[in-house]
Order: sequence, then structure tokens, then C-alpha cells
Amino acid sequence: MSFPKKPGGKALDVLQNLPRITLANLRPEPGARKTLHKQHGGNRSGRGHKGERQRGNRPRLGFEGGQTPFYLAIPKYGYNEGHSRRPQYQPLSLKRLQYLIDLGRVDPTQPIDLTQLVNARGVTIQPLKRDYGVQLVDEGADIFASKINIEVQRASEGAVAAIERNGGVITTGFYDPISLGILIKPVPFFLRGQPIPKRMLPGEDMVPYYTDAENRGYLADPEKIQQARLALAKKYGYILPDISKDELYHMLAMRKDVRQIFFGLAPGWVVSMPEKKILKTTDEKLLKYYSS
Amino acid sequence: MFRCTLVVCGRGVAKRFASSFPGESALPPNLLLPTNLVDPARLRRPPPPADCSLPLLRKCDAVVPAHLSPVQTWVETLARLDGEPLGLAQLHPDVFAVHPRLDILHEVETWQRNYKRISHASTKIRSEVRGGGRKPWKQKGSGRARHGSIRSPLWKGGGVANGPRGPTSYFYMLPMKVRVQGLKVALSSKMAQQYLHIVDSLNIPSPDPQYLLDLIRHKHWGESLLIVDVGEEFPENILQATASLKTVNIIPAIGLNVHSMLKHEAVVLTLETIKFLEDKLLWHDQRYTPLYPFKLPYSDFP
Repeated sequence: MSFPKKPGGKALDVLQNLPRITLANLRPEPGARKTLHKQHGGNRSGRGHKGERQRGNRPRLGFEGGQTPFYLAIPKYGYNEGHSRRPQYQPLSLKRLQYLIDLGRVDPTQPIDLTQLVNARGVTIQPLKRDYGVQLVDEGADIFASKINIEVQRASEGAVAAIERNGGVITTGFYDPISLGILIKPVPFFLRGQPIPKRMLPGEDMVPYYTDAENRGYLADPEKIQQARLALAKKYGYILPDISKDELYHMLAMRKDVRQIFFGLAPGWVVSMPEKKILKTTDEKLLKYYSS
Repeated sequence: MFRCTLVVCGRGVAKRFASSFPGESALPPNLLLPTNLVDPARLRRPPPPADCSLPLLRKCDAVVPAHLSPVQTWVETLARLDGEPLGLAQLHPDVFAVHPRLDILHEVETWQRNYKRISHASTKIRSEVRGGGRKPWKQKGSGRARHGSIRSPLWKGGGVANGPRGPTSYFYMLPMKVRVQGLKVALSSKMAQQYLHIVDSLNIPSPDPQYLLDLIRHKHWGESLLIVDVGEEFPENILQATASLKTVNIIPAIGLNVHSMLKHEAVVLTLETIKFLEDKLLWHDQRYTPLYPFKLPYSDFP
């Protein structure tokens, strides 16, 4: 198979001897256009014989002749109660992450953010469907072998262990829905011409999650995080590599500020795409508001 | 499928028929031949051999897959009537030698015809026809059939029961990749049947339309020609020459479409047009699915 085949194959050779393809020669593939035959004829026009069927008086869907119908006989239970108020996190397995890194769609030498994952089309996030971000799942923890600095919204313990075992850094951060919408589609936001808003802090119920060092929350104490890393290494039985001696330490130590949405861009700045400029405000009150 | 072997040409078939029947030497007067028969007078110049002395004027910019080889063609010139090629050009096989999917060509051609169609045919229904609110005669006793209004579809002058209703739009969009593949298939079929010609530039010596017609007849390019070039400005001479001609038309490269390519017998592309087309058409082979519409800026959009 090493010698190059003639491109187009035999079909193009056959075409050379056939008449010219013109507007009069085109026809659809046989079987592509199926003619729909409507009901035609029949003594009773296909409606059956007498009764509600022929006279068009059948009862509503679900009616069972008077017996309590199925949809009323089953008791109610709040399975889906409040489903539209529950935050959802799109799962991302370590197997898929490794696949993306291997194919070169995600760059492991830069901090991996939700923007990078969405640009690589690794995950699809729908902020309007109560998605609050992405969660790391430990499927593929045994084959994962990349040193990365990744920021997700939730992570399972096994996934955290797998990343830290390979010398990487994982953080969990909270994005409110507006910031999430901006994070996954930055270009349409910049085209709006609005200043980058500051990221809101998590609500009451999520604060314990993000202040916990076990979950590597972005609001947690760095010393407690280091202790948690050692504890996890002991629990899962691997030696924690020392990242401070790593050549990529500067990249691995990059973390976003609590109010920051993008690396390198602060809240309050306006990005102008047609002029390729960043506009920063000089008003005191605005500066005070955006830096609070 | 074997109809093609029986079909040879207009005059050629007639001559062969004449020779096989020794009693008749003239063409029968009622002989009807289809017009899309291939003309042997059309120069079927063989593709350039491997050891050609002419210079290679263009190589493929994009990476050609290892299992395919570029398509080699002649590069000609419009400036002289003599018809000798200037050099060779290599074309990307994923644009100019894809499989001839005639069903995709049909789909794209029907789409091009129908997506702009708005049919304004409209009829009035029984409630819109003027009059017909009153019951014409009493239900019983008159001896005539029972009726409720003089404008029911049964009546002369009444409304139409199931007629066309107002302006209807036949707009639909084929997937972007199907339309791109349609362009590639059209270019490949023109190339395979040797109706595609490559020219270095569109400079012609005179704005006379007769010059173009003589050139086309001399080179046996066919009856109709479509000239495609990239850029916002074209040389004055070619614009004047094609302005008065009905069968020779010039379009910019962004206006290239399957309908025009099939309508004209031969297509002429310049070298810059080929670069433009390859750039734009090959990008769709390996692009991500769009996050937001392609009208908004992307960093890798060609």
C-alpha cells in the first residue's frame, strides 16, 4: 500500500468515457425519493365499520374505558421535583482527557481550563440547562499519564489522586452561570463590547465544598491542600512527586484569582476584537468595584 | 452502463452508419441524435507524461495524503491563439479527484434551484370569497339541494378547497459539508471529463469578443465557457469581451457554484483561483464543529 493509488479510483476513469454531466443528466440516487402514497379508495375510506372509530369520536389518549388509567393509578413521588434547580456537571473521564492530550487537541504545557476543553470540543456545556461546569470522573485513572494543571468544577477522589500521582495540579473552582457562559464562548462575549464581569462567589450550599482542602477547592487554605495531597498519596499508595523542583513549576502553579474568569484578563477590562485592543478603566469607583 | 460504448459522436456515428450500409451514402433526414454526445474533434489532450519538459508552475500548498498523488494538468494561456501549454500544475486530489458522487450533485443543484423559491400562488377559501354569509334558500321544502352558503367549493364562483395558500417558501439549507462536497465533486467531474482548463492569468490582447470565440473554437473547448478568477478587479479587456457574449461568462471565485459549472460546458480557472479554492474547500475536511456561527471570527477560518 505504499505506492500512491490513482486518486478518485476507477469511477473517474469510467467518467471519462461517459457523456458530459449536465443539468439534464442529474437524477437522485434510486431509492432516495420514496413516494408517499396517501390513502385512496376503500369502502369506508380506511376508517373501519361504525362506532367511535368511523365517526371520529374516540376518547382522549390514556383513557381506559373507565378503569383508573395508568397515569392516575401510579402515586406521585418527587423524583424530578426541583430538577431545574439542581446544578449539573458534565462528566469528563480521565480516559477522554488522555485521548484529547494524545491527539494534540488539548495542550498540556498550558493550564487546562474549561475554555481549552470546549475549544478542543472535548466536552459540550449548556449553561442554560443548569450546567455549572465539568466534573472529573475516575474512569481511565489507571491509564492516565500526563502532567497537567487543570481546573474543573468538581472532581472525584480517584481522579484527583490520578492527576497528582503524575505530578499535576488540580483545582476546583466555581463559576456562576453568567461567568460560565462567558468562559465557554469567549469570542461572542468579546464581540458584545461589555466589560468582563467579576466571577461571583459560590452560594451557601456550595461554600463548604469549595473551602474544603479534600476537594482542592479554590477557596481552601494552601497549607491544608498540601497536607491533603500527602494524605491522599498515603491513602492511594503512591509517592507524591515534588512539583516545586519541576521545570514547569511556574505553569503548574498558575491559578486564577477568586474573581477572575480568564487567565491574563482582569474583571472590568473591555476586549475590542476588531481593533485588537484591551481597554482598561481609570475611574476610581469602577476600579474599586472590580477589585473588591 | 454500457450505453456509453455505443455512443461515439454526431458526425462520427453518422459516418459509421453510412459505411456499414453500402447502399446509402447520405445521412437519413430524420436522424435524431442526442446533443450531449461526445465530439471527437474535441481535443482530448492526454494528461502530462511524467517526463515532460515544461516547468511545474504550481505545487500543492496543502499536505497531500500519502496514499494519494496530486493531479497533474496543463497550464495554458489566453494571450495567444496558438494553444501551446505554458507549463504544468499540480492539483490537490481531495478537491479535484474525489469520487464522482452524482447524487450529491443532484442534491446541491435542486437546493440551489429551490431554496430561493417563493411561490406567490394564492387562492381564496370559502371564508375569504366575497359574500356567502346567508343561507341561499331554506333547508327543506324548496326541492333543491341543501346549501349553507353560495361560496362553498361546490359552487361556481366559490372558494377553492385545498388550493395554494399565500406565498409559500421552499427555503431549506443543506449541511455545509454537503455543499462543500458538491463543489468538490463538480470540480472533479469537470477535471475527469477534461472540461476543466487552467490558465495563468486572464490578460487578453484585445477586448473584442470575437477573439475569445476564435480562441475557444481553436482550442475546441466547447460551446460555453465559465471563467473564474479571484479578486475584486478583473482586466478590462476580458470584462468587455465577455459582457456582450451570452455563452462565455466570468464570475469571481466566491461565486463558484454547482449550477453554473454544470450549465457551462467548460470551466477555466486561474492559478490564484485554485489556491483560493483549495484553501477554502480543504479546511472543511478537518475542522471542528462550530461553537458559534462561522460569521463570527475564528482564529483558523481561511
